[in-house]
Amino acid sequence: MNDTTSSSPTPASPPPPGPPEEPPLLRTLAPLLRGLERQLRHLLDNRRHYPLTLLQRAELEGLADDLRRQAESLDVDKPLLVVMLMGGTGVGKSTLLNALAGAPIATASFTRPTTRDPVVYFHQSVKTDRLDPALRLCRLVQHDRAALEQKVLVDTPDLDSNDLTNREKFLTLLPIADIVLYVGSQEKYHDRLGWELFKQQRQRRAFAFVLNKWDRCLTGESGLRPDDDWLRDLKAEGFQNPLLFRTSAQRWLEAAQNHSGDGPPPPPPDLPEGEQFPQLRQWLELGLSRLEIEAVKARGVGQLLTHLQQAVETIRPPDLTSEAQRVKAAWHASLIDEADVQADVLVGTLEPYQTEVEHHFSVEGQTQFRGLMGAYLKLTTRLRYASSTLRDRLPLTGLKGRLRGGRIETSAQWNLGEFVHACARTARERVLDQRSTALVHRLLVDADMKGFPLGLLTEPTHAAARRDDHEDLTQAVIDALAEVERQATHPTGWRGLLRRSLTLLANILPEMALVATAAWILWNFFIYGDIPDFFRMALIVLIPLVVIIVMHLLVAMLLPVRWPAIRHQFHAELGQRLAAALERIYLAIPDQVAEAIGQERQQVDRFLAEVKQVQEWLTRRQQTARIAELYGK
Amino acid sequence: MEPTHHRLAISQLANDFHWLEDHCRRQPGMDAQAVGLRLASALTRNVLGPFLEGQPARPLHLAVVGGAGTGKSTVVNFLAGAVVAETNPQAGYTRHPTAFVPPGPSLPWPSSIGFLGPLHRVSDNPPANTDQDIYQVKRLPPQPTAGEAPHPLADCVIWDCPDMTTWAAENYENRLLEVAALADVIVYVASDERYNDAVPTQFLHLLVNAGKAIVAVLTKMRPADAPALIEHFRQEVLRPLPPRPAGMIPPIAVVPLPQLTAEQRHDPGGAGAKYREPLLQHVRAVCEVDEETRQRTVRNALRYLNSAGEGLLNVARSDLAQLDAWKAVVSAAQRDFHERYRREFLTGERFRRLDTYAERLMDLLELPGAGRILSHMLGVLRWPYRWLRDSLYGLLVRPEVLSLREKTVVEESFQSWLDRLQAEALRNSSVHPLWKQIATRFEGELAPQARDRFAAAWRTFELKEMDELEAAGQTLITRWEKNPVVLSSLRGGKFALDAAIIAGVIYFTWPPGWLLLLIPVGVALTHQLAELVVRGLVEQARQRLRNQREALLTATLGTPLAEWLTQWPATGGTSLEKLQQVLRRVPETLRQLEQSITERLTAAAEPTRLAASPLPPSSLPQTA
Repeated sequence: MNDTTSSSPTPASPPPPGPPEEPPLLRTLAPLLRGLERQLRHLLDNRRHYPLTLLQRAELEGLADDLRRQAESLDVDKPLLVVMLMGGTGVGKSTLLNALAGAPIATASFTRPTTRDPVVYFHQSVKTDRLDPALRLCRLVQHDRAALEQKVLVDTPDLDSNDLTNREKFLTLLPIADIVLYVGSQEKYHDRLGWELFKQQRQRRAFAFVLNKWDRCLTGESGLRPDDDWLRDLKAEGFQNPLLFRTSAQRWLEAAQNHSGDGPPPPPPDLPEGEQFPQLRQWLELGLSRLEIEAVKARGVGQLLTHLQQAVETIRPPDLTSEAQRVKAAWHASLIDEADVQADVLVGTLEPYQTEVEHHFSVEGQTQFRGLMGAYLKLTTRLRYASSTLRDRLPLTGLKGRLRGGRIETSAQWNLGEFVHACARTARERVLDQRSTALVHRLLVDADMKGFPLGLLTEPTHAAARRDDHEDLTQAVIDALAEVERQATHPTGWRGLLRRSLTLLANILPEMALVATAAWILWNFFIYGDIPDFFRMALIVLIPLVVIIVMHLLVAMLLPVRWPAIRHQFHAELGQRLAAALERIYLAIPDQVAEAIGQERQQVDRFLAEVKQVQEWLTRRQQTARIAELYGK
Repeated sequence: MEPTHHRLAISQLANDFHWLEDHCRRQPGMDAQAVGLRLASALTRNVLGPFLEGQPARPLHLAVVGGAGTGKSTVVNFLAGAVVAETNPQAGYTRHPTAFVPPGPSLPWPSSIGFLGPLHRVSDNPPANTDQDIYQVKRLPPQPTAGEAPHPLADCVIWDCPDMTTWAAENYENRLLEVAALADVIVYVASDERYNDAVPTQFLHLLVNAGKAIVAVLTKMRPADAPALIEHFRQEVLRPLPPRPAGMIPPIAVVPLPQLTAEQRHDPGGAGAKYREPLLQHVRAVCEVDEETRQRTVRNALRYLNSAGEGLLNVARSDLAQLDAWKAVVSAAQRDFHERYRREFLTGERFRRLDTYAERLMDLLELPGAGRILSHMLGVLRWPYRWLRDSLYGLLVRPEVLSLREKTVVEESFQSWLDRLQAEALRNSSVHPLWKQIATRFEGELAPQARDRFAAAWRTFELKEMDELEAAGQTLITRWEKNPVVLSSLRGGKFALDAAIIAGVIYFTWPPGWLLLLIPVGVALTHQLAELVVRGLVEQARQRLRNQREALLTATLGTPLAEWLTQWPATGGTSLEKLQQVLRRVPETLRQLEQSITERLTAAAEPTRLAASPLPPSSLPQTA
């Protein structure tokens, strides 16, 4: 029936001969851990772009605290090993500590929960300020047992009673533990709260197990005994050969209290079969030698680093370069469409000013003509576009007052900048402001379809949309107008040839006609003595005038500068420029974001590489010690 | 209500609670609500259902519950008076409920549909640690002292239940809840180690809320500690329990069952009798009066279900809050939609069609029939003035700003409405499953459906807007056409004014000279006057039309689409749709059931009181 031998801890072998003198492993670790902690904090502080959930941040901050704590606890000659009792209320944690101490140092009672303030049991040579800050606030009890010199035993509040503050206290203490002594009783060894905490912590700390109130487990009933049941569960969790002590601490405590002389108290009478309190005491005193302590510490650091590595992996941002490219391609299409509509809107706002635009072009066009043709064109233009001058001279503000956009001078004084500014403002007020918010939504949806995380783009895109003021728009309209003007006044190709030849003809022909007519009349007068009548004299004016008019008609027919003709060209030019402006504003965003994320990714990678380096160094230096059973797989 | 109706209502209600429970389990941090809902559905099936089926008042069900290792099976043995339940040193050994029915004539077993929900009865005596959704029924052996007195709990079924504290309990918590819901009396077992544990205490809370009669048994302490421990238990555990109205459930009695010797454990009726008797006494005290106990169970179950309404709202709260957020986004986007239509299209729209109606209106003012010739002559006279006026006007007035086409504006505004919704859904998809659902179904379902609806609505809108435009023009015309008196007086007035001006000029400037030029000027001025009046009318019509157009857009496109979009997350078989359905249905079904249960309760109370008064209140022996 009793098969405890298979799993009972063998008495500690005499301490193995000291290893050849090596530089103290643990002390060297301390600065490394401090360095990692600094970097981790730096990483957390500089995280700007890729979002961290509150949970991740809290976990990493907890890990940074652990790193600091480990560094501090290792940076001494003799590191302290913290053995912490964990278990539900009433399983006998305090009694166990009392039994180990041989005196009632922790309150134990039948009312639940008993322990509300943790008790710390440590050697008198240890100065209080060497204890972890969280422990200094507990009840401190010092002893003079040399065997427990490097060990700190901590009795903790429960983790399952109705007093939830106890659980919180316990959870704040738990990170300090190097070895957790999971205390169970016949009722509680299977409890969910303790078991889940164990599963959550088992990768990070060493675990030994105590089944207290062992007498209650031996009911003589059939069925699986609690210790076997527990061992089976632990095996399923990967603890092949866990340290499990079956104890009846109450008996030992009573025996110790009844014993008054010096020396170790005698074992209590009628101990139940298989009771292992002496083994537990021996393991704590001798089994955990300096070598084991160092190994447990080193292992603890190793596990902390593994955990750190896993936690940091989860916050490693993805590589978004290819997504950024795809998003850019998608955005390009959307922006071209948008630019087209914006050009429509802007050209629409120019519609009321078509006369001014035509006038402007005519004035620009006529500068190439000189002499009679030039004078004639100046006159006709002034007549033809009298209205555009007139309109602004008359105080008719009621006529689309706002759209006029201030004073718009004709001909040479025509202020293109101000005029365009006015147009752009009108367009923005009516249409474009609303369009730009709509555009941002469109772009974001596009980006999401290309697999770019939306959260990263929302802020910069909205910011870009707010920055997108009308300077760009105005400039685009001015440039487009200038380009159209250049094309209209200085065409290239056959139109340029045509224009140049027409200009040449128009500049020469009227004067030639004038001279020829005058010469013809003079010839007749002098040779034939014809005195020119009124009609003949008028011909001097009329013939050049006819020539001029013919030339004018030719120019107007072959090289038109009418609004409907310019409109189309203007629209195309404007579309191109607006597309360029929009692309300048928006297209860089995915790349910028991807790059920023990429930098964060590199930062994380660098950190991971360093963690790995420390880990490898630790593995190389790890010594073999009898601690394997404290850890599961 | 017909019996079939009952059954339907019961299973409906139970299913709804069950669905809500699943819904809770899918969300983090709502485990407590899920357990409460589980209890609600179990109460519906196991208490209300059998009651409406006309289940007799006996047997009562007595459930022994408690944390692992507290000695539930021992307590069962003590109640039964013999070692019947497997006691086991392993904590959390019992993993499905077992019912112990008293010896003697077999008691009627509830047979309503859905009784004990997922658990099915097995009869092949599986060990107590069989981890399946089953329950077994065992008959207690006849008492050794049979014949002297019947079994003290002769008309009770004793249920040995699994625990709720071990890590395996997650799997069988529901089995425990089923039996706890069924029970008329709960025997809550707590040991000296466990009595102040959080998990069992929460369970006790739940049972108190459900209005169960409870007897607490404290086990395993040293006999000397018993009074102090009971006091502490009352202080720490019972006092903070939720308050309940007086008379609803009897106060909780606490019975000690100290650490037993093996002999006492194995012979509850004999060696253990000194602990057994007080236990039996307290248990019988809470189920003494015949019909009352069961009626109390039913009434309290009903009360719990009614009060669960708040919990239901809690379940739905986060979903409904998200739905509200979605609604807010939809209506904000709708406002943008209208705003864009107004600014990009409507303000610049002139309704050119009305100009032709203005011309027809001017035409109406001319003389009909033979008078036409006169009108034409006057028209010739007016021509120079009009030519001059029109050319001046052309010089001074700028052309209009070109608006985008109405269809383009509306389509693009709608598209940006959808885009905004989609962007919002994507952005929030990590916040709540509702948004995630919307985001995933957006591209495939919402957007195409929305576009179809938009296209249909747009066609109606187009037809209606044409009609409206024509109607507005027609009213301008018909107002005069239909009213010959006004029309002819207007015509006559205008002609009379013209004639008077001509006659006056000729008369005052005779003999004819250049002053005759005053005639065309005067005639033109009368016409100008008429034109101004007509223009004013048309301008009014235009403004009216603009308002009408906006209202039309709201009525045919904006509002229906917004409504459809608002409701969309709650359609198409989504959990939200189901949730709304369930939230509507549960109070309704509950009201129905409450009504018929109250009827039945009052009907049962009358005859029992009459019939039972001369008889002893219960068939139970009155001796302790």
